[in-house]
Amino acid sequence: MKNKINTALFVACQQCDALFDKPHLKQGQLAKCNRCGSTLIERKVDSIERSFNWSLAGLILMLPAILLPIMGVTLAGQFHQASLFDCILVLIDRGFYMIACLVFLFAIAIPIVRLSGALYLSYCFKFNKLKPSLLNFFRAYHHLDHWAMLNVFMLGIVVSMYKLLDDTELSVNLGLLAFIFWLISSTMSAAALDQDYIWDKLERAFPRSCDNEYC
Amino acid sequence: MNTAKDASLALCPKCHKLNNLTTEPQQCSRCRGMFYQRKKNSLQYTLAWNIAALLAFIPANLYPIMIVYQLGIGDEATILSGIGEFIDHGLYPIAVIIFTASIIVPLLKIIGLFVLVYKVHTGIRLKPDKHSKFYHALEFLGPWSMLDVFVVALMVTVVELGFVTSVAAGPAINYFTITVIFTMFAANSFDPRLLWDKKTADQTQLPTDKLSKNVSDTL
Repeated sequence: MKNKINTALFVACQQCDALFDKPHLKQGQLAKCNRCGSTLIERKVDSIERSFNWSLAGLILMLPAILLPIMGVTLAGQFHQASLFDCILVLIDRGFYMIACLVFLFAIAIPIVRLSGALYLSYCFKFNKLKPSLLNFFRAYHHLDHWAMLNVFMLGIVVSMYKLLDDTELSVNLGLLAFIFWLISSTMSAAALDQDYIWDKLERAFPRSCDNEYC
Repeated sequence: MNTAKDASLALCPKCHKLNNLTTEPQQCSRCRGMFYQRKKNSLQYTLAWNIAALLAFIPANLYPIMIVYQLGIGDEATILSGIGEFIDHGLYPIAVIIFTASIIVPLLKIIGLFVLVYKVHTGIRLKPDKHSKFYHALEFLGPWSMLDVFVVALMVTVVELGFVTSVAAGPAINYFTITVIFTMFAANSFDPRLLWDKKTADQTQLPTDKLSKNVSDTL
């Protein structure tokens, strides 16, 4: 049996598994792996404060972004407009359950869950209310990393606007503006969250009771 | 270059904490999740999801993806014929975007992952630095293929003027979403660290330089 290594002194690259001494970083610095070039660890500036504010803004903007009509068309004297929420209802109404589910999940549910997750985390850190349940909570939060597709939906809106501009009269509503701001704030809140810092702090707050292991 | 595997350490995939590997699966000492040193059966999972995605990609291109009803008469369009229509109307930027998102990206992802799996398995002409960059590009591009699905969803919703004009989604949309989601699963189950493992295993054992020498450069 090899003798145990003090794991707190090292970091490994997530992409290529190279082992390095743990660098001491100041806020705003980041360390890169010199084998594969991906980011090893990063200290973000003012992480908790920023992600708290961005996610709060995102949750406030969520309602107008979902409920206000995004765009409307006028064709042959008829006018029809739709919001993100109408989108789901119409898709269910016409029997396209699968796309309805997907749009609901990727463009509404997962962004909201991620925003409220970021808000809850940064709230707990801001007011120093650390609980052991945060360990599980933050681990679960990482499961959703790949599945928020607001940016893709935004491109979808742009493409379909171009498409409709060709042969209908298109009107753009406030919902689009709210949606853009929602997209920006949810992206920023995810980007501002400093994972290494949060995990370090959680680890120090709740050390695992270990018998023979070098923690 | 020393790796965590050589030092019998394992990195938690969720919280990025280094753990001394005692059992497999190992429980992370920080976030208490269970994990393996490398993703378990990574190549097999990737290959399986990939084949499933490739199978679903065939009907996705053959069936109509969108049906436009004008005065009760339906006009079916597959992904490719939809792109052709854009070109006819002179909307080149949109044609390029849709073509990239719904044909090039899924195909590139499927073929690219097949190539990566093959190279990791055999170790032939494996260049880990280039291939890991390629893998990251694939991983990043994945969600953008959903573009077509969102466009169809929006068209169905917005263009709903009763008898005059309405849009319906065709059966291809389901197959297409299956393709996209399966390729995302395939990319997620691939472990880029296997590329480096295979390379170092193939080469004659490099002289292990001291750990403290690989101090990363800080920005």
